[in-house]
Amino acid sequence: MSDIAYENWEAVIGLEIHVQLNTKSKIFSSAPNRFGDEPNTNIGVVDTGQPGSLPVLNKEAVRKAVQFGCAVKAHIAPFSKFDRKSYFYPDSPRNFQITQFDQPIIIGGHVIAEVGDQTKHFAIHHAHLEDDAGMLKHFSTFAGVDYNRAGVALIEIVSEPCMHSPKEASAYAMAIKAIMEYLDASDCNMEEGSLRMDVNISVRPKGETKLRTKIEIKNLNSFNYMEMAIEAEIRRQVRLYSEKPHEDPANVLSSGTYRFDVEKKETILMRQKEEADDYRYFPEPDLPPLVLTEEYIESVRASLPELPQQRFKRYVSELLIPMGSATILINEKKLADYFEEALSVCDHPKNVCNWIVSEFTGRFKDTGKTLLGSGILPAHVGKLVEMVEKGTITGKIAKSVADDMVANPGKDPEKIVKENPDYQPIQDTSTIEPLVDQVLVANPQSVADFKAGKERAFDYLIGQVMKLCKGKASPSIVNELLTKKLQ
Amino acid sequence: MYRFSAHALRDLFCKEEVSAETIAQSTLKRIAHYDHQIGSFLSVLSERVMEKASRLDQKRKEGKPLGRLAGVPIAIKDNINIDGQLTTCASKFLQNYRAVFDATVIKLLEEEDALLIGKTNLDEFAMGSSTENSAYHLTKNPWNVKCSPGGSSGGSAAAVAARFCPIALGSDTGGSIRQPAAFCGVNGFKPTYGRVSRYGLVAFASSLDQIGPFTTNMTDAAMVMEVLGRHCSHDSTSLAVKPEEYLKKIEEDIRGSVIGVPWSFLDQLQDGAKENFHQAIEAYKTLGATIVDIDLSLLKHSIAVYYILSTAEASTNLARFDGVRYGKRSQRAATLEEVYDFSKQEGFGPEVKKRILLGTYVLSSGYQDAFYRKAQKVRTLMIQQFKAAFEKCQIIAMPTSPMTSFPVGAIQDPLQMYLQDIFTIAANLAGLPAISTPCGFSSDGLPFGLQLLAPIMHDAKVMQFAHAFEKATGYSHKIPPLFDKMEHSS
Amino acid sequence: MEFDEKEVDKLAKLCRIECTEEEKKALCHHIAGILKYMQQLNEVETQGVKPCLRVQETHANVLRDDEVGDLLPREKFLENAPAHVGGMIRVPPVIKFTNP
Repeated sequence: MSDIAYENWEAVIGLEIHVQLNTKSKIFSSAPNRFGDEPNTNIGVVDTGQPGSLPVLNKEAVRKAVQFGCAVKAHIAPFSKFDRKSYFYPDSPRNFQITQFDQPIIIGGHVIAEVGDQTKHFAIHHAHLEDDAGMLKHFSTFAGVDYNRAGVALIEIVSEPCMHSPKEASAYAMAIKAIMEYLDASDCNMEEGSLRMDVNISVRPKGETKLRTKIEIKNLNSFNYMEMAIEAEIRRQVRLYSEKPHEDPANVLSSGTYRFDVEKKETILMRQKEEADDYRYFPEPDLPPLVLTEEYIESVRASLPELPQQRFKRYVSELLIPMGSATILINEKKLADYFEEALSVCDHPKNVCNWIVSEFTGRFKDTGKTLLGSGILPAHVGKLVEMVEKGTITGKIAKSVADDMVANPGKDPEKIVKENPDYQPIQDTSTIEPLVDQVLVANPQSVADFKAGKERAFDYLIGQVMKLCKGKASPSIVNELLTKKLQ
Repeated sequence: MYRFSAHALRDLFCKEEVSAETIAQSTLKRIAHYDHQIGSFLSVLSERVMEKASRLDQKRKEGKPLGRLAGVPIAIKDNINIDGQLTTCASKFLQNYRAVFDATVIKLLEEEDALLIGKTNLDEFAMGSSTENSAYHLTKNPWNVKCSPGGSSGGSAAAVAARFCPIALGSDTGGSIRQPAAFCGVNGFKPTYGRVSRYGLVAFASSLDQIGPFTTNMTDAAMVMEVLGRHCSHDSTSLAVKPEEYLKKIEEDIRGSVIGVPWSFLDQLQDGAKENFHQAIEAYKTLGATIVDIDLSLLKHSIAVYYILSTAEASTNLARFDGVRYGKRSQRAATLEEVYDFSKQEGFGPEVKKRILLGTYVLSSGYQDAFYRKAQKVRTLMIQQFKAAFEKCQIIAMPTSPMTSFPVGAIQDPLQMYLQDIFTIAANLAGLPAISTPCGFSSDGLPFGLQLLAPIMHDAKVMQFAHAFEKATGYSHKIPPLFDKMEHSS
Repeated sequence: MEFDEKEVDKLAKLCRIECTEEEKKALCHHIAGILKYMQQLNEVETQGVKPCLRVQETHANVLRDDEVGDLLPREKFLENAPAHVGGMIRVPPVIKFTNP
């Protein structure tokens, strides 16, 4: 078969992200919202669909939804209401979900994210509140239903179909996640299911404006998998269309729900969409509508904490951190917080950032662990960088110290340096001075350049000294001696 | 003792002239002796009520303050939850289901030291107008045991009519308190929508259901409504209003007030009913009220609107009965599909199935606009028509039912059965407070009911007008002969 | 709008009720009659009329504080359960796909 010209095709991607709000109690009942407890120990009469039970809306869920709407500069609907969505499944306590169908609380909005070196705006279609279902646990001869999760407050954020690549999709998703974390609206734990992503994807030849059939990929619980799934699905769809170039596109691909098989790196069909599921949406009679005043909305807006984009701007413009690194930091609030804590010990943002984002993160790369979970204190990272800045140790030694910190999480780098004689830079002037003299003699041109005003020559000379002493000399002493001798 | 009103009984108890245990025992005895004739109860809570009675006697002994319903036996329709007790909704589906929480109304009654005597029969899931749809047994009308007590709260109406207890609770979605009250010659009140909490009432049609009392007199009705008419934080449709003082308000004079009657709508009444209604109107004239003609022509669409909206809501409210978490799970079910399909097939009666299918149909895509939305629009128009009528009058009077009670089994055509509610449904659609109060008897000795409606929130007015009528006519004091034998009075 | 037994089949599937042939016939007959009766609503002019969402227009914003309470104890919940195992409600095995 001839090579398929993938570059002539464009993917059109939309994301539906379900985020569990971290309210103390559930959205329509006061049962606790907790993960990981024994089955059916966090349930109330509403969450188990007991006859005679009635929903009552959690005001904190509303507030968090409004906060999100303000954070993405969306229109907060002054009037919104709830609807019943009917379908039968054992994890549904009533066999209908309470959701918002045609009058959701949040309309429009956008997120800004860096994709490669470009700043992109991704449009949101709407966001609405709804209740989560319970969990079905599959065994060979039966299934077990746990309603602990039933009724947990969800905000479903539906994007416009405005993404065109796997990277754009994950940039968007990461931006949403970051906002939720910064608002402290959710713990966004994808392994525990508090943030779930569904992708809707279709392809079309570049330049075509009409949308073709889309399919849905569900159960993606990492950004990495999502990117791989999208990539695989784009190829699958393009291949199908390319195999039948003369066929009506509407007949080539049929709608359906897919999952991503990580082993095979393929999307697998779960359910064909034969006919539209008839959810028979109608207004929820047990819940009065939500009427939000300007004052309320503004008071929520005024209470917004620093948002990812604001922090990003601060890092790039004020702290002069490269955009790529800044993006990595802000996309994970805990990491950005870690960075700022390290910064309070050592006020050299670029270097601290580099050590966190590159050096330490690199050391954890294939271990399955992360810097955040390692037990290495941010203050210690700060100290390490400070020692390099002050010249107490060389950059090279610092790398070894970092290795030791990884092996002994929580150990103070100053202690590590003190305990290891190899890390002690040579402080003895009498040992260093001859080396300095040696270098000065060997590099007359550099000396002349320096005296002529070329600052870089000085750095070169330092480098030569360090080379001679195999990086073990105290940089500050070398600096001092050289300066003296060059006067 | 069975002849005593609730407030009189409470007085006797508080004055220590009778013990709670005696009241409870006497009530249980009376039920055991007589209920087989009419079958008003599905379950009698003998142990529970004796225990509560003994504790109440102790409370009285200790000189503690006694509740407003202290010592009063009350029957509860079996679609209202009492924690730990069976709530069957007269369905096979919930044959063994025990409620896991108390309905708010139960809490309120027991806070006032009422003695809950048992759960009464109803049409399955409150769907019906004759109690013939109960999956367990028929309830008969105490005035004529060949006849229906009405429905769906037939058991509660019959229990009060037969004087098993002075008060019973029912639920009213399209007339299910008022119509059986009329058939059984007792008072049956449906409050303004949202006045009484629905928390713990097994939902049939969420935007129409209300719990209300059956009583033998209006003072008792006012007393119970003061206890029940409260905001409930577990029910989002509960009105955020202060409790009202009905006992005081019902005594206000109605002289000079205006009563509206939709005369043209009453053309369909049978002769006996027409005459009876005219008499009732004359009685009001004597009391000093003026009668005006009002236009409620849209009421002729009540049934159509109701059977679209109530079945739509019911189809989703009953979806939870799937055999998964509670209720009857079919023994023959091997797959999940079969758990759903067979459990419902075996657990639900034909009327319930019919309404669920109908409700599903009117909500399904392609039909929702033509049916559900259309019905909601007509509902808006009906509410507007009521508003216009209430600009001319303070109360609307109508018969409760087009006819007196009919023999059990006489009505087979579902549509004909639905038409029983032609006068009552509109009050549910508009959320208005409405009552049926006894209004005399037909030539066969069957009771007539007079229906009074007031604007939304004017519950006091309804009770006031019913009270005036009752004082003037005394119909509600009559006891069915079968249940008025002196030798078993105690 | 022809309401026939095929429609009854579709509806029965949607609401997950198994009906015998006899039941289907009766249901079809009754429901068709009721639907026909409902046609009368077409006589009512509703152009520009808003659907009634609630009888109390001003009733809105019923919210509760985010506090934990009203827990249903597991044993009580499972007492009514037709089948349970390991604290979970037990159902026949389910084909592993996501719910809608």
